[in-house]
Amino acid sequence: MIEIDNVSKWYLDFQVLKGCSTNVAKGEVVIVCGPSGSGKSTLIKCVNGLEPFQKGNITVDGISVGDVKTNLPKLRARVGMVFQHFELFPHMSVLQNLTIGQIKVLGRDEEESRVRAFKLLDRVGLHEFADKFPGNLSGGQQQRVAIARALAMDPIAMLFDEPTSALDPEMINEVLDVMVALAKDGMTMMVVTHEMGFARSVANRVIFMDRGEIVEDAKKDDFFGKPRSERAQLFLSKILHH
Amino acid sequence: MKYNWNWGIFFEISPDGVHTYLGSLMFGMVWTLATALSAWIIALAVGSVIGVLRTAPNPWLARFANGYVELFRNIPLLVQMFLWYFVLPEVVPSSIGTWLKQLPNASFYTTVFCLGLYTAARVAEQLRAGILSLRSGQRMAGLAMGLTLPQTYRYVLLPMAYRIILPPLTSEFLNIIKNSAVALTIGLMELTAAARSMQEFSFQVFEAFTGATIIYIVINIIVVNGMRILEKRLSVPGYISLGKPAAAH
Repeated sequence: MIEIDNVSKWYLDFQVLKGCSTNVAKGEVVIVCGPSGSGKSTLIKCVNGLEPFQKGNITVDGISVGDVKTNLPKLRARVGMVFQHFELFPHMSVLQNLTIGQIKVLGRDEEESRVRAFKLLDRVGLHEFADKFPGNLSGGQQQRVAIARALAMDPIAMLFDEPTSALDPEMINEVLDVMVALAKDGMTMMVVTHEMGFARSVANRVIFMDRGEIVEDAKKDDFFGKPRSERAQLFLSKILHH
Repeated sequence: MKYNWNWGIFFEISPDGVHTYLGSLMFGMVWTLATALSAWIIALAVGSVIGVLRTAPNPWLARFANGYVELFRNIPLLVQMFLWYFVLPEVVPSSIGTWLKQLPNASFYTTVFCLGLYTAARVAEQLRAGILSLRSGQRMAGLAMGLTLPQTYRYVLLPMAYRIILPPLTSEFLNIIKNSAVALTIGLMELTAAARSMQEFSFQVFEAFTGATIIYIVINIIVVNGMRILEKRLSVPGYISLGKPAAAH
């Protein structure tokens, strides 16, 4: 579904991604972890072309992201993305946040998109919040709306960029619960996160990045059993202690 | 100081033989409003385009927009007015120059154009600041759901950016009304010119400018309150609301 082949990216002279290669198969859940500044958020943003890259190739469902001839908006509409800071549109109600893409991008009519939106709000447990505005919601609620907003486009895969990092601890689980349910439904997911409990319960593979490189790309059990690289071991020992 | 106060002057017939002095001040007010409102429409339209281009990814468009802003805000308004009115008709091909000079109400069109383009530079600068004040994730979120860049501006970035800059836009609206007084230098009989003419014919300088002052203040109070109502109606729950700091999130 997502093929990342030897991708490198520079900010001026500074190389943020160094020949990264991996893939996410249909229905697979792949976790990307690593210390901050390791390039994991940059990598996931390359997948839907939000960040350009200078070398290598990424294809999503067979379509090349880096190709100038690719219709990026069309491709992005098929890949859902959830951000660290939710990024709901604050001037729109929750319902409008869920319908705008359906109407403007997919060309659905108002009624159809409303029905779809309410179905997804039900799924994330926020039906009665449809007419509220993002500013009136808690962080956890906003992130659940953001997930519903991405799902409203009927994506073939979902990208999560540290979806729980900006949340208060008591709100993390309500978001993870939604993500676990999504994974169990067979959604193809690429998730940048430090939530190792989440990784343990739903991941197929775990990718560990450090300084722009993919250091480890292992099956979940292999990764948590005994990571091969020292850097991954050190990282795990630091975040699993508490 | 020996001065003959005469507040009744407003109701005396002015030199045009038909209207009272109050009437000629009112005509001045109408010209001021027509000039300011027309120029404001140009300022908002041109300023929005230039402001958006300044934040666009294309470096050539951004450079063009930056050049526009620097050109129009670094030359005094009065000089710009003279350039449009006296210099432009001489440097264009003579047929166009003659047409410009013979245009009825040429000073009105010149002022609207000049003031509009001048204020557009200031609106553009504010809109740019408003757009840049939004988190970069907002643009990404719009693009990530498949909106094109123009759609992302239209539905995601601009609605918030305009809300954020409403208070400084109010100031620009007031400025454009006040700046329209510069038009008297090219012969537009707007409010300040009308007051000056009243003073010259009647010698009642204090009454004339008191009248003009009151009219300016009333207009501007109406604008301020109108914009405040607009701000309230457009306020975003939990984010931007009048009188309250934006909620932390």
